[in-house]
Amino acid sequence: MSGAAVSLRQERPIVKGLKLPLIDNIWRVRGAVPIDPSLSADQAFARVDPLLRTPGTTIVAEGGALVYSKHNPAAQDKLATFTRGRMWIEQAGAGAVLRFDLFSHALLLCFLAPLLFLGFAQLAVTLNAWEAAGSEASAKAEKKDEKKPPVAKKLNPVDEFLGAPAPEDPSKKKDKNKDKDKGMHSPDEGYYLAGFFFVVYLVGRWLEPFLVRRRLRAALAAPPAAAVPAG
Amino acid sequence: MAGVQVGKRIIGADSPVTVGWENIGRVEGGPIKQFVFTYFQPAMLLLAIGFWYYAPNWLAVASTAIAIRLGWTVLLLALEWVNPRYQSWQLTWKEFATDAFYVALGMTFLRMVDAYIGDGVMVAAIQDAFDWEKFDWFTGLPLLVQAVLISMIFDFGQYWMHRGMHNWYPLWLTHAPHHYITQLNVQKGAVGNPVELFLIGLGIGGFFDFLPRAFLLAGAIGMTVGVYQHINVRFNTPRWWRFIFNTTEHHSVHHSQDYEATRSNYSGTWIIWDRIFGTCVDGEAELLGMEGGRRMHIGETMVFPFREGWRDAKAWLAKRFGGGAAVPAAAQLEPAE
Repeated sequence: MSGAAVSLRQERPIVKGLKLPLIDNIWRVRGAVPIDPSLSADQAFARVDPLLRTPGTTIVAEGGALVYSKHNPAAQDKLATFTRGRMWIEQAGAGAVLRFDLFSHALLLCFLAPLLFLGFAQLAVTLNAWEAAGSEASAKAEKKDEKKPPVAKKLNPVDEFLGAPAPEDPSKKKDKNKDKDKGMHSPDEGYYLAGFFFVVYLVGRWLEPFLVRRRLRAALAAPPAAAVPAG
Repeated sequence: MAGVQVGKRIIGADSPVTVGWENIGRVEGGPIKQFVFTYFQPAMLLLAIGFWYYAPNWLAVASTAIAIRLGWTVLLLALEWVNPRYQSWQLTWKEFATDAFYVALGMTFLRMVDAYIGDGVMVAAIQDAFDWEKFDWFTGLPLLVQAVLISMIFDFGQYWMHRGMHNWYPLWLTHAPHHYITQLNVQKGAVGNPVELFLIGLGIGGFFDFLPRAFLLAGAIGMTVGVYQHINVRFNTPRWWRFIFNTTEHHSVHHSQDYEATRSNYSGTWIIWDRIFGTCVDGEAELLGMEGGRRMHIGETMVFPFREGWRDAKAWLAKRFGGGAAVPAAAQLEPAE
C-alpha cells in the first residue's frame, strides 16, 4: 500500500475477463446495516467516523463512499481484522442501508496458514527419509550405547516413603525400536495445526463480520456524541 | 512524568508504571471470586506437582504433558475472559490467531531446527569433546529437589540470556520484536523472532542426569508458574508467591513502554533470581510496547533482526571506513544500555 487509500471496486478481476464471484468471499466481507431513515448520509457517516478514526488509518471520501485503509492497526482497533474497506449508503425500500465491502489480510492469511503447516509436516517426512538414508552413522552410535547397558535408577528413600512410582527399568523397554521407525521428526503436529488453523479461520470468518455488523449498528444508533477526532 | 525511584533508577519517567505492591489493582467481585482468584495459582501448582509425583509410569509421559498443556491453555483463556486484568488487553480473534501462529511455528519448524542445533546437540557435542559423563548423582536426590533444581538451573540460564538480550545490541535485535507486543495474553510468550525463541530455549540442564519424572515435575512448575508471565487475568497473588515467583505484574513492568522499567524482571519463573541480582521491580503497567505502542506484524517480526542488523552494520562500516556521516540508528532501537 502506498499510503493513500486503495479503492475497493465492486469487481476487480485478477485476469481481465475472469470473474471470481465466490472465491473472494474467503477474504472479503460484504453486508449492510439499516440506517435510521431520519439520518442524512452525512450524519450517518459522521456516526461511523469515530470507529474509523484510529491511528494508522487513512480515510478518503470517494464518490459518495467512504474508503479507508489501515496500516498495521493496533491490537484493540475495532476494525483491526479488516485492513481496507469501503462503505456507502443505498436506498432500500422506504429506508436506507449502510453497505460495506471489507477486505481482510488476516482472514486471507489464516485461510492459507494450513498450507504452511502441511508444508512443515511434509518437511518432517522428507527429513526423516533423509535421516534414514544416513542410518549407518546412527548404527555406529547404537553400538557405542551397547557397551554400557542402562541401569535401572532408584528413587530417593524420601520418595519411596511418600509412595512415588519407581522409575522403569530401561533394560525392559522393548518399544525403543518402535520410536526409531517413526523417525526423528513427527509430521503429526503439522497436520493437527493445519486443521486447527482451518477451524480458526472458520470461526473468524463468522465472528468478525458479526462483530463488524454489531459495531456499525451500535455506532449508527448512537448520537454523534463528542465526535472528536482522536489521533 | 516524575517516575518513582527504585534503587538508583527512576521507573516510570517515560510511561506510567505502578510501583509497589500496595498500589496494584485487586480482584473486584464477591467473596467466591475473591477466593478463586486468590488461591487459583497455588492450588494449581500443588495439583500439578501432586499429579506428576504420583502418576503411574504409563501416564507420566510427554504426551500426557502435551494434552494437559492444551487443556490448561483453554482454561487460562477462559479465565482471561471471566476476569481480565485490563479491558485494553482483551483478546481479539486477530490477536488469538496471530499468537497461535507463533506457538504453532515453535511446535513445528523451530522444533525441527532445534533437533539439529539446539541445546541437546550442543551439550552432547561438549560431552563428547571432553569425555564428560553426566552428573549421575543427581538422580539420587529427592524428586522435588531434582525438579526445583532443573527449573532453577534453566531459569538461571534464561535470566542471563534475557539480561544479555537487553544489554548487547546484536542479541537485543533478536529480542526487540517480542517487546512490540502491546498486551499480555496467554500465548504471547511465543511471540517473537524465531532466532530469539531459539536462544531463550537454550539450557544447560542437559549436562545433568535427572529422572524423567523430575523433568515432568519441572515442566509442571513452569506450566503453573512461568505461564502467568503473559496473561490478562487479575489475581490477588499471595505475598510469598510473588516474592519467589515471577508474576504477570512483574512481567508487565518488564514490557512497559517505560525504558528503565524494561530493564527489570528478566527471569521466567523464579523472580528470586532478579532479587538476587538486583533487577527486580515490584509493580505493574498497562501501557506496553515500543515506539509508543506500535504493533509489529508477523512479517516484520520475522525480518526485523536481519533488517536492522544490516542497516546498522552498513552505517557502522560507513562511519568506520567511509568517513561519511553515518545514519544514526533510531532512538527506540537502541539497546537497553
